Amino acid sequence: MLLYNLRLAWKSVRRYPVLSALILLGIALGVGVSTTFITAYHVLARDPVPGKSDSLYYVRMNSWGAPDSPFRQDPPPLITWRDAQELLKSRVAARSTATFASLATVFPQDGARPFRQGIRLVTADFFPMFATPFRYGGPWSREADGRPEPVAVISSALNDRLFGGANSVGRTIRLENHELKIVGVLGPWRPRVRAYGLIGDPLGAPEPVFLPLNLAAPFEMQPSEMQMNWRTPLPGEEKLPYASQLMVGESLFLGFWVELPNPEAVKAYKSYLDAYVAEQKKLGRFPHPANNRVTSMLDLMAELRVVPPQTKALAAISLLFLVVAALNLIGLFLGKFLARASNVGVRRALGASRLTIFVQHLVECELMGLAGGVLGVLFSLAGLALLNRVYGDGPEGVAFFQLDVPMILAAVALSLLAGAIAGLYPAWRICAIPPARHLKSQ
Amino acid sequence: MEFGPIFRSLLRNRARVILIVAEVALTLAIVANCLSLILDTRAQLAKPSGFDDEHIVAIQSNPFDDHLRDPQVLRQLVEQDRRTLRAVPGVRAASHTSLHPWQTFGQITAIRVPGTRGEPVRTQRAEADPGLFETLGVPIAQGRGFTEAEYEHGASAPLSEVQPVVVSRKLAEKMYPGVSPLGKPLADADESQRFQIVGIVDRFYNPFGETSEEAMFLPSRSASFDGGSYYLVRTEGNPAPLVPQLEKALLGVEKGRFLRSRTMVENRDEFHGRDRMLVASLNGVMALLVLVTALGIVGLTSFSVAERQRQIGTRRALGADRLAIVRHFLLENWMVTSFGVLLGALLAYGFNFGLVTWVAGARLSPGVVAVGALALWWIGLGAALGPALRGSRVAPAIATRNV
Repeated sequence: MLLYNLRLAWKSVRRYPVLSALILLGIALGVGVSTTFITAYHVLARDPVPGKSDSLYYVRMNSWGAPDSPFRQDPPPLITWRDAQELLKSRVAARSTATFASLATVFPQDGARPFRQGIRLVTADFFPMFATPFRYGGPWSREADGRPEPVAVISSALNDRLFGGANSVGRTIRLENHELKIVGVLGPWRPRVRAYGLIGDPLGAPEPVFLPLNLAAPFEMQPSEMQMNWRTPLPGEEKLPYASQLMVGESLFLGFWVELPNPEAVKAYKSYLDAYVAEQKKLGRFPHPANNRVTSMLDLMAELRVVPPQTKALAAISLLFLVVAALNLIGLFLGKFLARASNVGVRRALGASRLTIFVQHLVECELMGLAGGVLGVLFSLAGLALLNRVYGDGPEGVAFFQLDVPMILAAVALSLLAGAIAGLYPAWRICAIPPARHLKSQ
Repeated sequence: MEFGPIFRSLLRNRARVILIVAEVALTLAIVANCLSLILDTRAQLAKPSGFDDEHIVAIQSNPFDDHLRDPQVLRQLVEQDRRTLRAVPGVRAASHTSLHPWQTFGQITAIRVPGTRGEPVRTQRAEADPGLFETLGVPIAQGRGFTEAEYEHGASAPLSEVQPVVVSRKLAEKMYPGVSPLGKPLADADESQRFQIVGIVDRFYNPFGETSEEAMFLPSRSASFDGGSYYLVRTEGNPAPLVPQLEKALLGVEKGRFLRSRTMVENRDEFHGRDRMLVASLNGVMALLVLVTALGIVGLTSFSVAERQRQIGTRRALGADRLAIVRHFLLENWMVTSFGVLLGALLAYGFNFGLVTWVAGARLSPGVVAVGALALWWIGLGAALGPALRGSRVAPAIATRNV
């Protein structure tokens, strides 16, 4: 029966080629436009660390010491080196990491021209917290954090460039004047939202080199992203290298993440943080009212507007576009079906039931819906390619916006739904026609 | 005209009327909001920096060779670079500065009039050599620029010394409203460092960190091994073809460094990237939407014509001329579109309210709705014209043939 209906549908498509093409184009445009912009929204808004983002929290406190503070409502987005070091000592959170980005020169061993790379300074906990995939080796140990040992984790792209993709664990990489032992090589990893670096460039690719945070002091690594200072260097500090000035001073340049598996842990961490700040106040720091925040990752993403409002607006507009396309479809189906009402009259007179006619036309609608959906997915590939020209392809050679399987399935489902909704009324209208009226006029 | 009969015939084809009205209304609502977003965004895009963007190229130099760790060597390198860049044919001016136009990168500081209390004023702060203003193409409007001696001395000047500064007009007006700012003092928020205004530039727009028109320039050399040094070069013509020559000249001075050159237009386009994408996307969505709606109107009108072949034939047989038939369908269509436009105008404000409340954007202006409504009227008429003309060609004989 389905096959017969499909054959009828195909015949009807062949009989009205222009009209069928218009219908197809209408569905395809609706699905294509909405899939493009919903994908753009989905890529930015989806959970950046699936399964873990519920338990990752960002820590902020108001350490600003100048009498005039620009942080009346929200605390500063970053914390100081000394506060990060103190918080890292605590074991109240299951895991914690302080982090900042830097830049350094990598000297290849074969004497090739050196190149500059982004460096991310983190602690050992960072890797399990942000579920980084490892191709070879693994994170360094917490002991390596403490000493700190000259170790590094590198990206798969950098491993390809320096070692031809071979297992480089145990080999060394030269960064500026320092030899570092590679303990781990990451697998291909390009989260679209760089969750650990929401302050700064949240959509950037992960840095190719990860180093123990405490190496920042001996290596004098200075932050390459935002840093905030309220205190002018004290006498004697001026002579220090810039990176050391930031560390001994009250410069804010580190992000701080903790892993808190449940609400009790969040509560415990909040009270720990309150106690820490109260203690610091006794030491004469933190002159402004305490404003401690322990914010979940998804809340922080919303607060920082990681998904630009324009992207949301476009997603909403593109959904409305789909509605218009569906309305359009109703009209076109209606016209197409009514135009051959006389055929239906003959079929009905020959004994076809209303239901048969109804199903026949709905099958035709769904066939068009399916074909339009497939074409729409192709359209959205073109649309996303255009968007990718703006967002740029990452250094790992991946396009920023990509259709994933769930989005493709959703697009096809959407087009089937559009076909069904748009086909319902015309199919009902056509099967409700009394056969006699059309037979008469033959 | 036949308003009455047309209206009554519309009532008999409710499904079609409802479809067109809904489609037109939704289209108008969407188009009006898209237009509003586009106008809002374009206003941002069109804001000029006030600099000679089209003729400037920015070169970032980052040393990696160990001998450049010596600050003295680095200092000499900057001086050599400045001379070298200016000597390249086609170069009008070159500057060593920490101002990174269109790059959301730089330094923000809070300053005040010395001795006052209250909220300090936030401003961009950049180090500059005497050539910066010539390079940007923003002449000193009042007072003077920096001297080579000030620039040379600035980097090593102790904090206690009063530094000469050039400020943007906007900042000067904020600090000293209504009085001539020349020669007036400024200070850091905690008054640890003091400045004296020696010059004013009129034009300055560089959106970065909640400030865009406030800027303060100090004469100083901002080069370090880790941070590298940053040059702006103003060329006579298009700067892009000159980039290889500039880089070659710089590498001729010193090979132990990386260079990264970008024209200011590239930086500006990248800065505006998302807004440009938004405008392009909205334009695309609007065009496709109007296309889909027009196709829909063509389709629906075609069927209404096809369905009424016999009626048309009868009217023609009874003496109506072709024009009357065309007029009938166009008028019918115009009435339906008008309903849609009216409803759409209301809907547009509804959508806009939702958009402004939950997402982003500006309030809808009546002008935008009016433009959208006019456009849809014409599009509706244009879409109906083809089917109406076809209807007018129905021969009167049809009426007799089929009865």
